[in-house]
Amino acid sequence: MLFPQLLDKLITETTSLSLPGFSVELCLSATIVAMLMMRLVNLDRLVPASVTAVLGAFAALVFTWLQFRQIGAADAIVSQKIFTGLLIHDTFTVFFRAFLSLFLLLTIALTSLTGIPDNEDGPDFYSLLFGATIGLMIMASANSLLMLFVGVEMASVPSYAMVGFLKGRKPSSEAALKFVVYGAGAAGVMLYGISLIAGVLGTADMSLLADRLGAAAAGGSGGLSDPELRAVSLGILLVMVGLAFKLSLVPFHFWCPDAFEGASAEVAGFLSVASKAGAFGLLVRFALALSGAPGTESLMIAFGVGIGFIACVTTTFGNLAAYSQTNLKRLLAYSTIAHAGYMVMAVSALLVMSNSVNAAAMQVDINHSVEGLLYYLFVYLFMNLGAFAVVAIARNHTFSEEVDSFKGLVSQSPTLCIVMLICMFSLVGMPPFGGFVGKLMIFASAFKAGDVHWFMYVVVAFGALNTVFSLVYYIRVLKTMFMDVRPVDARPVPVHLGSLESIYVVALAAFVFLLGVLPQFLSATAGAAAQSLAKF
Amino acid sequence: MVGETLRNLLMIAWLLPLAGFAVEIFGGFWGSRKSRVAAWMSVGCIATGFFCSLSALLIWGSSNNFWKVPHETDHHADAGHAEPDHAVADHPADSHDSHDSHDSHDSHDSHDSHDSHDSHDSHDSHDSHEPPVVLGQTVYSGTLYYLARFGSLDISLDYYIDSLTLVMFTMVTFIATCIHVFAMGYMSEELTEELVDHSAHLSNGHHVHRPGRYYRFFAFLSLFCFSMLGLVLAGNIFQVFIFWELVGICSYLLIGFYTERKAACNAANKAFVMNRVGDFGFLIGLMVLWTFFGTFRFGETLNDKGEVVQAGLFQMLPRDETGNVLRDAESGDVKIGVVTAAVEPGGTRTIPYSLLVVAGLGVFAGCVGKSAQFPLQTWLPDAMEGPTPVSALVHSATMVAAGVYLVGRFYPMFVQEVLLTIAYVGCITLFMAATIAIVATDIKKVLAYSTISQLGYMMLGLGVFGWGAGLFHLITHAFFKSLMFLCSGSVIYGCHHEQEMPKMGGLWRKMPITAFTMLVGVIAISGLAVPGLISLSSVFAFSGFFSKDAVVATSLAFVKGNPSHFLLFIVPLVTAGITAFYMFRLWFYTFAGKPRDQHIYDHCHESPWIMTGPLLALSFFAAFCAIGGEEGPLYRLITGDQPAHVAHGIAAPLGSGELTLPGHEAIHAVHGTAGTLALIAAASGTFIAWLLYGTTLVNVAEIKRQLSGLHGFLANKWHFDELYDGLFMKPSHVVGSCCVWIDKTIFDGIIHASAEVMIFISKWDKLFDEAVVDGFVNLLGDSTFAVGRSLRVIQTGRLRQYVMFIVVGVVALFAILFTTFPG
Repeated sequence: MLFPQLLDKLITETTSLSLPGFSVELCLSATIVAMLMMRLVNLDRLVPASVTAVLGAFAALVFTWLQFRQIGAADAIVSQKIFTGLLIHDTFTVFFRAFLSLFLLLTIALTSLTGIPDNEDGPDFYSLLFGATIGLMIMASANSLLMLFVGVEMASVPSYAMVGFLKGRKPSSEAALKFVVYGAGAAGVMLYGISLIAGVLGTADMSLLADRLGAAAAGGSGGLSDPELRAVSLGILLVMVGLAFKLSLVPFHFWCPDAFEGASAEVAGFLSVASKAGAFGLLVRFALALSGAPGTESLMIAFGVGIGFIACVTTTFGNLAAYSQTNLKRLLAYSTIAHAGYMVMAVSALLVMSNSVNAAAMQVDINHSVEGLLYYLFVYLFMNLGAFAVVAIARNHTFSEEVDSFKGLVSQSPTLCIVMLICMFSLVGMPPFGGFVGKLMIFASAFKAGDVHWFMYVVVAFGALNTVFSLVYYIRVLKTMFMDVRPVDARPVPVHLGSLESIYVVALAAFVFLLGVLPQFLSATAGAAAQSLAKF
Repeated sequence: MVGETLRNLLMIAWLLPLAGFAVEIFGGFWGSRKSRVAAWMSVGCIATGFFCSLSALLIWGSSNNFWKVPHETDHHADAGHAEPDHAVADHPADSHDSHDSHDSHDSHDSHDSHDSHDSHDSHDSHDSHEPPVVLGQTVYSGTLYYLARFGSLDISLDYYIDSLTLVMFTMVTFIATCIHVFAMGYMSEELTEELVDHSAHLSNGHHVHRPGRYYRFFAFLSLFCFSMLGLVLAGNIFQVFIFWELVGICSYLLIGFYTERKAACNAANKAFVMNRVGDFGFLIGLMVLWTFFGTFRFGETLNDKGEVVQAGLFQMLPRDETGNVLRDAESGDVKIGVVTAAVEPGGTRTIPYSLLVVAGLGVFAGCVGKSAQFPLQTWLPDAMEGPTPVSALVHSATMVAAGVYLVGRFYPMFVQEVLLTIAYVGCITLFMAATIAIVATDIKKVLAYSTISQLGYMMLGLGVFGWGAGLFHLITHAFFKSLMFLCSGSVIYGCHHEQEMPKMGGLWRKMPITAFTMLVGVIAISGLAVPGLISLSSVFAFSGFFSKDAVVATSLAFVKGNPSHFLLFIVPLVTAGITAFYMFRLWFYTFAGKPRDQHIYDHCHESPWIMTGPLLALSFFAAFCAIGGEEGPLYRLITGDQPAHVAHGIAAPLGSGELTLPGHEAIHAVHGTAGTLALIAAASGTFIAWLLYGTTLVNVAEIKRQLSGLHGFLANKWHFDELYDGLFMKPSHVVGSCCVWIDKTIFDGIIHASAEVMIFISKWDKLFDEAVVDGFVNLLGDSTFAVGRSLRVIQTGRLRQYVMFIVVGVVALFAILFTTFPG
């Protein structure tokens, strides 16, 4: 093929296929440019950056909707590689785009309600936010080890800056520094892992990894005594460590409480939900890319069980460490760690089932595990953002994020307290809230995976046990809010039912409730997204 | 077509008050307390209803050529008030019309307007030598709405329109309109944000302050009108029961309108409970009817083609040519006529005669409660606690007459044992209530007892086979009694809520219109007349004379046929005198003589026009509505569609021991005698009243002292309240206290004992719980908390350590993988 033909083909492919599939990211990029340009000409004094950001996020949401509505429809999205196979555009990608753009919109709404950042810093902050979101979307749609790394870094670097965004605050800067250094370490580890995999298997295209792995394992013992497999295993482990850093899984979670405590509640909410979601999308893709190679099934099941083990340790650690926290943001940080543990159980089940001998027969269950993960993510979005939003709104009045500053808050702002109650009960996993349904789906798929490897039953047992553990510290917060007497000298929190803040949090709580009582709508969509990943 | 028009007109009249109620009760609640809008709306609804009813009556009359009847008084007197001949000729055309209209109907009222005449044909042909008595040919019945279906039982809203329905509609709407207008003035003190009720006290002795409830009163009145009209329009006995209960609840709400007054609350409860006693019998009657007849409808049920699908109740009971119920010779059971063509083709059912009696008595029991007949009469005097317009509308003219109306409506289903019971119940009631009225001093109580007594007359009339007479008296009584109640209301209003007659006197000078209209009512109820004023054969009299005359004449005819029941004539005759006595006593006491309480007299005043206007309107009708007596238009209207077997009476077979029921001819034969006797009784009653209360010749107090025993007996209402107290209240209290004792000593003992055992067990359980279970849980909690705390230690916050942990973690994980995974 001649070079001009190649060029033509590339241009055609890019314009007709890649760019439309990439429209959401492009829209977000355009918004960033617009915001920065507007500041150059002082237009941001006329139109606040938050307005531009809301418009941009909304436009992104509309673009997503145009793609999203095809899910489950007759002209369903066909899974196709774009940008010469660097990214993949399928239902799963679209689902994450929808998730992330919705979350972006909600976060911007929250920040404009609570006034962080101020108008001066608005363009900077929102540019970072949009950039991180683009990175997360790339993570969820990565089809190449290269894009995997690019996406992770693109999501991480703006996050570092956002954590340190409250420039004047010393804890904030310290947290940002820790985050940066820790993130750099993790990135180095992951990059090493990527180079090992790509070096041994000779490709960075994730869709080819399984075949190459199978070829590498062919003829060998299928164990770690095979040097190629050993190197690849180390590579996989290192990449997973990099992702574990994003997911704040034990023992790579150390940045998380410090960063959350240092960052503002809005940023913490973003980190706890969005960056987790992107990382989960990537982890699922990565895990599936390595699954199903003949000869490596037992190795991959071992990885799955290992992830299950990490999940158990993470949830237990997160929940127990949350017990003695006095700062509500820090408490929620540990809660985030614990929830990452719950969710990673679904990935563990996915990996275990995908590599079982009768994976084809278990395809429905594999789909269910991804569906459960996606459902849980969506519920987690609303309930966790709700909790962080309550913290942020109360902080604006009390200037404190300590648990004690919430004493007897119900007497002043019953709405906030009831929303907090709904969110926390949902976080615990009580019916009729969404958290229950999500947890149920994940535990069910893990239980199903117990057919393949006994350890998954242990994972389910740990999940159930941890649900009980988590009750203690959530209830403690609720008890403080509802049953303690508000100190006389405490600053008042006059948030009335009709105020915008109340409407915002009540809307979030309403979604938490709706997802609990009417799971079929979202689970059908999540099921369609999961189906697009199916191998059989 | 006619049936459809009548149906639509009556439905408007019926449903408008309901719409009014809905708007008034909600609009009034949100609206101003000082607004008269609710009243105007209420009056508008019922007045429109009146015009609809009146038009319906006129249309009915024209379609039957009723108004063109030549007044051949002599001829018709012989023929026993029969309908004119040409009505027969009119009938087929009318029938044809109404059947044609079926095509344009939807399925719901496809059973519209048909004529039920089947059971009367044989009767007419049998008596062909007489002028044909055309009966029941103008009934329009059908279904408005299906409520539910249980098995083969249709619960539906039907209509059954005959001349009685139309007359009742017109009467109810007219009187209700008058009373609504009157109430606009009477209730005007409720038009305030804060009303002080001087008759209601708080526990601290203060008067109750409450917002005015003007709108609520009129909303309740509207609801009552809807219920009452629904009762009259009802086309099946179950629907009657529904509206029966609805008027009951309206009565309850209106009696207890002044909820803050304890007496009003008690009276409302008493009325409600007493009526439930009667309704219990009603329900039993309904069960019997449903079990054996399989339908509740009065009229036939037609299908789309106009064929009879199911016979109505009134067509089912077979009667022989003399009007006796046909009975099986051996078993004595009654074979019900063709039940249905569809369900049981050509089949018949059999009902034991005794159950037929039970069904009749059951339905009559409901009427006893509603119409305050012996032995359930005690609630009506207490019901006077309600506002006076309520007493006039609900407790004299309409609701209490509903019992009488139902007896009249359900007449074809009553066998003679039931009729005799009705007669005796009416007889006892009319005498007892009249005697109590003699000694009552509260002006409204006198009228209440008078109402009971007159209702007794109506029941008696119906019981002795005077179908027309009883219902005739119902209509006339409604006019003059509502008039008198409104007059008493006017007096009470003028005297600033003084109801005791001994404190009044000489009021005619202060309130001439009230006194005059009251006098009209008193003369009407007393049955005074001037014979031969216009012509030798007729008398000039107010309405009450004619209707009471009809009742007394019927009972005389009955007694002639059945001499052993002579009391049924003697008692009403004597009571006619008593009636005149107590009514004139009331008038003299109140309006004549010298003022007994100067203070009240000085402050009393005539009521405004809005109140006296209705009085004048009603007094006109009280005087002249029955003009012409039994040849007059009102009586002929009522009896236009009378039951088939009434006109000729029923002759008892010789030696059967059964009753002979008088026909029109027999009644007419004794009419003169009865009229004379009744007039003498009334005149003497009037004379005695004048003697005692109109003059100062006799010392009434002395007589009272002389007859103190009798007076006490009467003043205590024949000790009925005490009797019921002893018969029902005390025993139930005794049973109640027994239950309490059992409860307290036995059941509570068991419960307490078990509770103590539980406490004992719990104590040990607590020890176990605290020591073992809590210890374990605390240990668990403490240890997890300790772990949590220790985990905090790892989070040192030192960056160098963190980065080192990455390395350590990766190496450790790889080591684990390497060691656990087989090579």
